[in-house]
Amino acid sequence: MLQQILALIVIIFFVGRLFQQKKKKQINRQELSLWLIFWILAAAAIIFIHRIDQLVARLGFSGTAINILVYLVIIALIYQVFRLRLTLARLERDLSQINQHLTLRNK
Amino acid sequence: MKIACIIPAYNEEKNIVTAIQEVQPFVDEVVVVDDGSSDQSASLAQAAGATVLRHIINRGQGAALRTGTQYALETGADIIIHFDADNQFHAEEIPSLLEPLRHQEADAVLGSRFLEKRSQLPWDKRYIIMPLARLVNRLFFGVRLSDPQSGFRALSRKTASQIQITNDGMAHCSEILYQLFKYRQRIKEVPITVTYHHYGQKFSGGLKIISDLIIQKIIK
Repeated sequence: MLQQILALIVIIFFVGRLFQQKKKKQINRQELSLWLIFWILAAAAIIFIHRIDQLVARLGFSGTAINILVYLVIIALIYQVFRLRLTLARLERDLSQINQHLTLRNK
Repeated sequence: MKIACIIPAYNEEKNIVTAIQEVQPFVDEVVVVDDGSSDQSASLAQAAGATVLRHIINRGQGAALRTGTQYALETGADIIIHFDADNQFHAEEIPSLLEPLRHQEADAVLGSRFLEKRSQLPWDKRYIIMPLARLVNRLFFGVRLSDPQSGFRALSRKTASQIQITNDGMAHCSEILYQLFKYRQRIKEVPITVTYHHYGQKFSGGLKIISDLIIQKIIK
């Protein structure tokens, strides 16, 4: 119970920071929504951790809900890193095109 | 028939002048693409009589070849040769690459280190890395050639305009081979000699090439 309360306090802190960032226009509306959904889902997972435990057991997994959540988060992180790699590759490609254009124009 | 030789160079002040002087007798124009060097490569190349194109930032060998090839096409080259700045290739072998193009027997002529055992390749490259690279080329790109990673090649104008190098790094070698097969170009391999002054591409470099090829395929 204490762990759940602590985890929720951490989430409230980050949600507060999120609104501060929006107020300072450091993030846009879309980013705010995305992160808000993420933190709401995290809070829901913490509040209903025992129900998720039961669900996980019913689905036949040997681990607890928290294990499954950690696995899911790792998968989500790997996916995000991959997306980031693609974005970087696109930026690199654009950079090379600009570089080539400048080189040939200045010749 | 105008022949242009593209030499990408990144911090090659020790080798670039020799490379240019050796190539000059066999071609009409030597185009050095200085890929953001911090040394005197560009000024030395210019003094040696080469046309110098300068990348303001370093973008890799593939990007430099793309710039050089584009320039050669814009200035009316009929045959475009890709050559290295580090004096590993032997310029006197350029005529043997040009021959099949001049006689219109091929659209692309690729230098191969494996047709005759003239090159002293490190044993792990000869027996492990290159066979693996050959296998990757065969499985993923349907490319069946003796040399999977040779940077010494000559392309006809038509072929050079058809090929789009999208990989900035070393993956351009496989990409060019893949496109030559895709566009059903007439390919001829000729034996070349490579003198190794340093080890060059490592196994980790090979893995990076594979990952770059996959990423480029996805973002295309």
